[in-house]
Amino acid sequence: MNIATIIQMTLAALAAVFIYTFIGFIPGTDETSVLMPITLAVVLAGTPPIATVTFFIAAIVTLSLTNAIPTALVGLPGGVMSSPMLEHSLSLKEKGVSALVIKKMAVGSLIGVIISIPTSLLLANILAPYAKEIQALSSLLFFLGAIFLAIIGRNKIMSLISILPLAILFMALRHLYWGIGIVPKTTNITVSFFLGITIGPLIISLFRLLNRDYREAMARDDVREISIPRDAIEATTLNPLSILNRIEILRASVAAFFANFLFVLSPVGLTILLGEMVANRVEDPIERGYIAITTMSALIQATYISGIIIPLIAIGIPLSPTAIGPGGALFNAPPVLTMDNNLHHRLDRWEFTIAILTGAIIAIIISYYIINRFASRISTFVLQRIPHEAILALFISLIILLAYMDAGLINVFGVLLIGISCGTLNRMGVSYGVQFMTLYAAPWIVENIILL
Amino acid sequence: MDKKRGMFEIWGDIIEIKPLIISIFISVTLTMGAYFLAPPDSRVKQLFFGLMGAVLGFVISAFFIKPKRLITIEESRKG
Repeated sequence: MNIATIIQMTLAALAAVFIYTFIGFIPGTDETSVLMPITLAVVLAGTPPIATVTFFIAAIVTLSLTNAIPTALVGLPGGVMSSPMLEHSLSLKEKGVSALVIKKMAVGSLIGVIISIPTSLLLANILAPYAKEIQALSSLLFFLGAIFLAIIGRNKIMSLISILPLAILFMALRHLYWGIGIVPKTTNITVSFFLGITIGPLIISLFRLLNRDYREAMARDDVREISIPRDAIEATTLNPLSILNRIEILRASVAAFFANFLFVLSPVGLTILLGEMVANRVEDPIERGYIAITTMSALIQATYISGIIIPLIAIGIPLSPTAIGPGGALFNAPPVLTMDNNLHHRLDRWEFTIAILTGAIIAIIISYYIINRFASRISTFVLQRIPHEAILALFISLIILLAYMDAGLINVFGVLLIGISCGTLNRMGVSYGVQFMTLYAAPWIVENIILL
Repeated sequence: MDKKRGMFEIWGDIIEIKPLIISIFISVTLTMGAYFLAPPDSRVKQLFFGLMGAVLGFVISAFFIKPKRLITIEESRKG
């Protein structure tokens, strides 16, 4: 560890905080679509592995907190992960306590980071000796993961049935590309297929605009009216202990702790499950809202942090929704990183610990301060200046770019096909988790189950 | 109510159809245009040029298109 490395890590963390503070405030920016392409760019640019880890940790810590803010301030979820808070946020906003809610979110996030980093480092060390066995079984585990997520989800039978056809869809496209020779047979296209799944629901919405019947249902007469509470400058305390009471601190801490052990489950699912479980027992509606918001803020951090740290340090294959999705580029970003030679293999545990701590500490301190001081001003700026059209256009451009880079023009339409198929399934109730796991298990499923 | 303006709700917020088409056109053109300007032997440079094009397209769209939101600032009540 020398001075240059420390400077690189610090710069990487600051860059992540800057980029994701801004992105977090933009309503409706899906975490995977904003984390994956930028992380991929960071990896492909040849950033040192240790700084890459710092960048990613700082990015998820910042984004997990800033995404919650528009939810509290204006009632629009900043991303997928903050949607569970929407109902509680709206009822508290009506009571006019948004300023306090934001502070509670910030402290909840702080608790989530403080609890889950040591817990997941510990869990990673416990699991590490079994890494070889787990890796050898990875394809089977992805398949079982898809089945597991299908069974615990809401539409069990539909999700189970959709696994095999989806696997065929992914492998059919790969075989087509191999057959016409546009990519070598050693290349398994994953990144752009992955984004195709992520952006599926958006593609379905855009297609529906082309159909008159659907279009009429989506038509709106008026612009959206949004009221933003002014930053409460007089309430100057930043002391976390005076923002939360003891019960809130305790419940958020316990929930965040347990979330670490469930790192293979869907982060948004866990946040809803544990968050509502903790909040439901409270009688007073305002206090219930506060506990739900605080606990969910802690859970968002805990699920993301454990979901990336444990697979990255202990196993080396992306065995959690966070690692498969937003963090996919840390495991597989050819030609820099591959499944056999990724950050897991390049860094030792000590380097991981330093990188993770640097990223998390820098990110949580800066974003904690910014959120407490400038939340309304940043939110007003973003909502007044950033049109939704530009955001949608940005996503579409990114996906076309990455699809083209993976396998040329044919893959742009291949990814469109994946988007239409997966978006339709998504609308019908097959969760992202099932689809992502299926993508990773696809070669194994086709070889061992369909061809059996 | 002027239905002809063509406003629709997609992904949790409101868009207008014409600016959306223009903005997709600008962003995609700049992204792929920048990508093809990059030296073809370097995947990293291609990705970077592409991302820069995407950011540029985003900035241009954001500059010319008005968000479909009506913002009011509430005076804070003590909570």
